[in-house]
Amino acid sequence: MLVLRRTLANTAFITFTLAALLTLPSGAADKRSMILATTTSVRDSGLLDALLPQFTEATGIRVRVIAVGTGAALRMGREGNADLLLTHAPASEQVLADEGIVSRRTPFMENFFVIAGPAKDPAKISAAISPEDAIRRIDAAGAGWVSRSDDSGTHKREKALFHAAGLDPEADRDRLVRTGTGMGLSLQVAGERRHYILSDIGTFLAFHKRVGLEVLSKPGPSLRNIYSILQLDSSRFERPLHTSEAEELERFLLTKKTQRAIGAFGLDKFGRTLFTPLYLADDAPASPVSK
Amino acid sequence: MSDPELQTLVEITLRTLWVCGSALLLALLGGVPIGILLGSSQFMSRGLLVSSVNAGMGAPPVVVGLIGSILLARSGPLGSWNLLYTPYAMIITSTAIALPLVIGLTLAAVGSLDDEWELQVRTLGIPRHWRVWLLIREIRMGLLAAVIAALGGILSEVGAVNMVGGNIAGETRVLTTAIMMHTSMGEYEIAMSQATILFGNLLLLAGLLTWLQQSGRKR
Amino acid sequence: MTEGTQSQSIALSAHNLHVRRGRGKNAFSLGVDHLDLHAGEVLVILGPNGAGKSTLLRALAGLERSVAKDVIRGGDGPVTLVFQRPAALSGSAETNVRAALLGKGIPEEVKRQRVTRALDRFDIQALASHDARTLSGGELRRLALARAFVLEPEVLLLDEPFDDLDAEGQRILSLDLQQAIEDTNVAVAMVTHDLRRALLLADRIAVLAPGKLAQHGLRDEVLLRPNTRDIARTVGMTNLASGRVCRQADGVSWIQIETGFEVPTTVGLNQDQKAWIGIRPEHLKLDVGRGDGESIGKAVVESLISDGLATVATLRVHDRRFTTHLLSGRGLARRLRPGDSVSLAVRPDQVHALPT
Repeated sequence: MLVLRRTLANTAFITFTLAALLTLPSGAADKRSMILATTTSVRDSGLLDALLPQFTEATGIRVRVIAVGTGAALRMGREGNADLLLTHAPASEQVLADEGIVSRRTPFMENFFVIAGPAKDPAKISAAISPEDAIRRIDAAGAGWVSRSDDSGTHKREKALFHAAGLDPEADRDRLVRTGTGMGLSLQVAGERRHYILSDIGTFLAFHKRVGLEVLSKPGPSLRNIYSILQLDSSRFERPLHTSEAEELERFLLTKKTQRAIGAFGLDKFGRTLFTPLYLADDAPASPVSK
Repeated sequence: MSDPELQTLVEITLRTLWVCGSALLLALLGGVPIGILLGSSQFMSRGLLVSSVNAGMGAPPVVVGLIGSILLARSGPLGSWNLLYTPYAMIITSTAIALPLVIGLTLAAVGSLDDEWELQVRTLGIPRHWRVWLLIREIRMGLLAAVIAALGGILSEVGAVNMVGGNIAGETRVLTTAIMMHTSMGEYEIAMSQATILFGNLLLLAGLLTWLQQSGRKR
Repeated sequence: MTEGTQSQSIALSAHNLHVRRGRGKNAFSLGVDHLDLHAGEVLVILGPNGAGKSTLLRALAGLERSVAKDVIRGGDGPVTLVFQRPAALSGSAETNVRAALLGKGIPEEVKRQRVTRALDRFDIQALASHDARTLSGGELRRLALARAFVLEPEVLLLDEPFDDLDAEGQRILSLDLQQAIEDTNVAVAMVTHDLRRALLLADRIAVLAPGKLAQHGLRDEVLLRPNTRDIARTVGMTNLASGRVCRQADGVSWIQIETGFEVPTTVGLNQDQKAWIGIRPEHLKLDVGRGDGESIGKAVVESLISDGLATVATLRVHDRRFTTHLLSGRGLARRLRPGDSVSLAVRPDQVHALPT
């Protein structure tokens, strides 16, 4: 019995040490690293997992991706807790730029939002002439609507659409559901209840079979979802940022090769591409410019 | 499951083991002595301290995570330590969550001893460090309960550990944060296999500890 | 019990012992001017509940926190206290006894010898490997004593060592304890409420009144010459009465308790002095013409209660009650019935008296 105990203790000790040695972060002091703050939907798309390894191999810079809600990502930028931001909430990004916290904002890829709903389409929004019209039809028909209500990029766009449709997004509607949570979960709620919902195309594609909803909107300028790289002004913060690394990553994301990769991304996973690069046109500037 | 996926799984599992193991060890090394001290002495502010421990036991881990992320962020008071988004931050946070539990259960174990136990042992002229050893020996069943409870709590911690670790692939991703991420991405199959491993580990460890506990009883 | 106790060395001498416990209304204090423990002797501590007997023991053991004291030790051997409810460590009986020797730098071989000897003293070698928590009350007491003796103590303090034991258990334990005391010459202070047991073991007696030491001295001194009526009752001198010296002759003073009831004593008193008398039950005789003493008066038998060894006869004199002990199953005990009229007699040198 004692022997068994001792063996167990030894096994535990060896496993523990092995685990530690294998997964201990390597000496970070001499290696270059940076923190990239982005949103959960960007992470969920898998784009960064496809692009970043090449960046690390080429430059030796380790990119630590922190995926949080849009609000949290922007807040990280505001407080200097990240070295580079990758977000898709233009209005809020502009606020940071106006304040000087963001020294350079570079839109670099886009996709679009969709209004999804039950195939039966009780509010008949597939016949709508614009996304705003679709929203009005949903409101008029008293149909169900699921809102993320979490100040995410998607939520901000949702509010803008409601305003453009002449409606108050905050007003209590009969069949309005506020989830306060991520896109995937919200889609599932919409699927369960057969409500309409605004979603980014990437997450929708990942979930649409499971939730049984269809894209019912037609693309339009108000549904454009623009992703930007936000460079921060290091001088504003007590602790300096890893600015050189951040700039290298930005350059990398804007190279023709990367932009082409962005444009091709998604085919194997979803059968269609997810993003449209914005820097691919031949007349696109070779290096970032301030906007 | 493909090779790289398997490799990732192994890596995440190993990291989970050493992060949780370290936190458990620290919580025990810190919590047991404090619990014994609180349990065997009488002093003025003892009641206050015991209340704090009880409050700590019930404190939502996510709150601990929030406080940790605020303190350890670059912009925070401990920013110069550069601990946020490292496994060390996860270990610290998990330890902080488990510590009140270990202290509280150790305290209860000491309290279950006869009031005069300490005096009786003292009157045999046994030197202090031996008395401590005897005490630990006497409460070893209660301590085992503390270990099992703390281990369960630490292994299943997700929110706080996500906040201070950032779930960074290859650096701070552990089973629980990975499960949460894959679930939110709709990748339920991967999430399930990770969940199975986590649960399997939990069962194995809990089983081992329970076996230790039961065999200790018979003696 | 040892004889010739005067020349034994003093193992512990306590002066000005003051213990204070609790606060405010529930405060308890105990003050003892002077108390000695002699090697090889048993000091029995008697007193009413709450007087501070256990507290005194704990103070001597150094366990009471607020103690002002001067304690002079005769040697540097261990002082140990066996509690009223001994705690068993988890593990076997042998583990328990061994534990006492932890951390004292004693070589293994010597430890083994001492443990065996200690278990042997109290006849629990057979229980050596038994889980201590499964022992009966009596066995646990023996274990606690073995654990105490393995230390080879210089001073041994016992708090109600015979609690929870039946008569036979007490008897055997008492014998073993006495033997151990004799073998090791340890100084013992014992608290017990069992007067009979106490009297069998005591070399010296200390009587506590609430908060203070009322009287202490050699066994017979205290038993036969208590300083107050309370102390008399505590030490079992239960036949008490007060009266006045009515006559004196040949160094004997006769104290009249009531008409027809006069008690002689050799204690020096003055004529007409008010005094109280005390007679131990074993010294109160029934006058059967055998010249057991002076006749003191008549009484009526009220009750006879036997415990198999001794019969306690309660006797009524007017509205007073006296008790005496008779040997069960013999002579008087067999013949007497409640209601019988008897004559009482005492030896004047066995009557204690003090002026009131």
